[in-house]
Amino acid sequence: MIEWRDVSVRYPRAPTPALAGVSFTAMPRSVTAVVGPNGSGKSTLVRALLRRVPLERGRILVNGSDVTAMSPRELAQRVAVVVQREEPAFPMRAREYVALGRTPHASAWGDGGDRRGTAAIEEAIAQAGVGSLLDRHTDELSGGEWQRLRLARAIAQESDAIVLDEPTTFLDVAHEMAAFELLTDLARRGRTVLAVSHQLNLVSRFADQVVLLHRGVVAAHGAPDDVMRASVLEAVYEWPLVVSRDPAIGAPTLVPLRRTVPSRE
Amino acid sequence: MAAIVLFACAAPSERVPSVDDAGDPLPALARPSRIVSLNPATTEILFASGAGDRVVGRTHWDGWPPEVLDVPDLGDGIRPSIETVIGARPDLVVLYASGENRDAARALRAAGIAVISLRIDRIVDFERAATLLGDAVGEPERARAVVDSVRATLERVRVAAAARRSRPTVFMLSWETPLMTIGSGSFLSELVEIAGGRNVFGDLAGPSPQVAFEEVLRRDPDFILGRPETAGKLGANARWRGLPAVRDGHVLVMDTVLVGRPGVRLGEAAVSIARLLHPGVIP
Amino acid sequence: MSGRLALLIATLIAVSIAALALGPVALHPGELWRVLAGGADPVARAIVLDVRAPRVALALLVGAALGMSGAVLQGALRNPLAEPYLLGVSGGAAVGAVMAVSIGWNEPTVLSLAAFVGALSAVLLVMGIARASGLRADPRMLLMAGVVVGAFANAAIMVLLATAPAEAARGALWWMMGSLGSAQWRDVLRLAVVLALTGPLLLHWARDLDALALGHDAAAALGVAPETASRRLYLTASLLAAATVAAAGLVGFVGLLVPHLARALVGSRHRVALAVSALAGSTLVVGADLAARTARAPAELPLGAVTAVVGVPFFLSLLRRMR
Repeated sequence: MIEWRDVSVRYPRAPTPALAGVSFTAMPRSVTAVVGPNGSGKSTLVRALLRRVPLERGRILVNGSDVTAMSPRELAQRVAVVVQREEPAFPMRAREYVALGRTPHASAWGDGGDRRGTAAIEEAIAQAGVGSLLDRHTDELSGGEWQRLRLARAIAQESDAIVLDEPTTFLDVAHEMAAFELLTDLARRGRTVLAVSHQLNLVSRFADQVVLLHRGVVAAHGAPDDVMRASVLEAVYEWPLVVSRDPAIGAPTLVPLRRTVPSRE
Repeated sequence: MAAIVLFACAAPSERVPSVDDAGDPLPALARPSRIVSLNPATTEILFASGAGDRVVGRTHWDGWPPEVLDVPDLGDGIRPSIETVIGARPDLVVLYASGENRDAARALRAAGIAVISLRIDRIVDFERAATLLGDAVGEPERARAVVDSVRATLERVRVAAAARRSRPTVFMLSWETPLMTIGSGSFLSELVEIAGGRNVFGDLAGPSPQVAFEEVLRRDPDFILGRPETAGKLGANARWRGLPAVRDGHVLVMDTVLVGRPGVRLGEAAVSIARLLHPGVIP
Repeated sequence: MSGRLALLIATLIAVSIAALALGPVALHPGELWRVLAGGADPVARAIVLDVRAPRVALALLVGAALGMSGAVLQGALRNPLAEPYLLGVSGGAAVGAVMAVSIGWNEPTVLSLAAFVGALSAVLLVMGIARASGLRADPRMLLMAGVVVGAFANAAIMVLLATAPAEAARGALWWMMGSLGSAQWRDVLRLAVVLALTGPLLLHWARDLDALALGHDAAAALGVAPETASRRLYLTASLLAAATVAAAGLVGFVGLLVPHLARALVGSRHRVALAVSALAGSTLVVGADLAARTARAPAELPLGAVTAVVGVPFFLSLLRRMR
């Protein structure tokens, strides 16, 4: 469980806060999605969790403990984060990269290759479906393959919670759906899953809870049905849209409208 | 030390040092039979003192006397290859005394080889070095004879040049970029004085000071003395033509092989410079 | 993989033996073994044990230190062109040495100390500049600060050399080109102590490098505090580099080339790559020193020049193989 309690963050020399009084809880066994326009503070939320930016006010609690009271290692043992941008400076074998997920658990001189670690790595590879990539190097993978590999690494961390910042970038339709189904599966097995995403339609179908951020403030918060309303979303995204409900899908679908209608001759 | 007592008895009027030019104590040697000389000036002294047949190593820059070319070339005299020197199996090594050679002196001594570090900047240094080396290799009389011969020639030149009325001022061009001359701390400056000239930068103490061209203009030397490579080009250079000495053709080329080192041919070097400054002074 | 590693180790042993057996003075075949067994004539003993052996020992240490330092900096700065002297070590050491020589302190111990102090001061200056800009461990900031401090140091050196006596200038220049020519057991001991202290530390922290290599945010996600981990890595690697400079002057290219070689041999997991960098660095420097003192015997080439001459074609071939 991860709880953001009245969290405020301001970047140095910024006129407005990046986050102001954000409060919500990501519960175990559920998928929480954080959505919002660009610049609404979504990534800042993740960076605040990782303690990469200081909190001006508020607290973030993982399983009840304040993250500032934990060592980075303890935090990583409890929360696996897949950050938005990650690029290895030197290409490594995909298998080695997944094994890096054991870093928070590795002993002083070990590399986490003990029996439990190896089992966790194999499990993660299976769940993320990256078995075929293992012998290739990280600089040889396509965007989608890299994304899935990062997911495998996070799963190998065997943490109670997984936080993902834009997990479906570069993924095609099939892999997008597979990724979110994997996240749902992870949640069902007991983890707390938090995904920051701009893919509103995917979020509405898979998330149990949606947090809508607007300029650093929580604009709406609740089940997808409650948050995905045209009135709410139009105000936040400042774009005309329609929310439809196709019974076949079983979740609200967002359709943005064209502002200028082209004349088709 | 026994060496000091010996020297003191032999030449009571000369203060013989007990340390070499690097400040290390002089070794007490029986007659050394394998000598490595890493300094052209000391090599000349050794050959002139009759120890030439015992010299088993020289530097790359040694060139006189001609027999020295048969001696193995051990490389540079500054930061010499310790291994190569040891490989020549010397019992005495004569080093050029400088900060850079301190390591070498220490390493050679650690290998059980006697080391004498000498530095010859001025004529008096030459006399001291010759005496010291003569005693060290067991040829004190011949070394004394060399010193006396050089002194006699220098005196002859001094007297002959003093008889001439004029004492022209001389600018010694040691290096062009940066512009460097010879100061009073060098034997070259002393040779010029003996040869009847006056070092226009004799007020500078070091052996090889840097000077500004404007200062050369201001001091307006009568003659310019330079190496063959540089002296010939001055006339074509606009800057240098600003000097009356250059315009009047008073650029003298010195024989660098003869004049370049403070060795046993100091007398001849003085003669050659005197002949340049005062033609006909010495037949 | 382990076959290539075995080959590296074999090469290291072979080149070390060659370095003891060969030099400007040709020893009789078999004389080396007699010396090592305690016999042979005193001149041969002096050559092997007093002249060559400390050189080879120091070369092993310098190579290992530079290899590890280079690997650490490349990983921590996430830059394949990083090298041990990057954070001000070379500029600071040269300024220290030239200043000492200009004052007239050319006693080797004092010169080494001046270089060491100069190097450390420059590193602290570089890190201070980076901190003042607000981005403490940001690699780009550190690289820029390193370049700036290096340029400033070069200017200072030129001013000092222009006004120094000729002998001092020559001595300073020689030192800056790197040399193991005056290697003594005392120098070997000093560097061995530094390496014994810093080497295990770096190997211990090598795991952080794997995380740091992914980027600071990703490293944090793996439980590595990026600023703290980076900073101690920069400082320790630079300290080790400064110690090699104090022992042997500036020896370029080793710290740049060797980590690439190591990664090509054993992959990017840093703990192993650091150890292999040490081995490869030792091999390179022992070999380069052997070449430096035999290629134009009895004259000695500057070590830094030989490592560059050997390093460049090697590096190019490595690049070609990587494409």
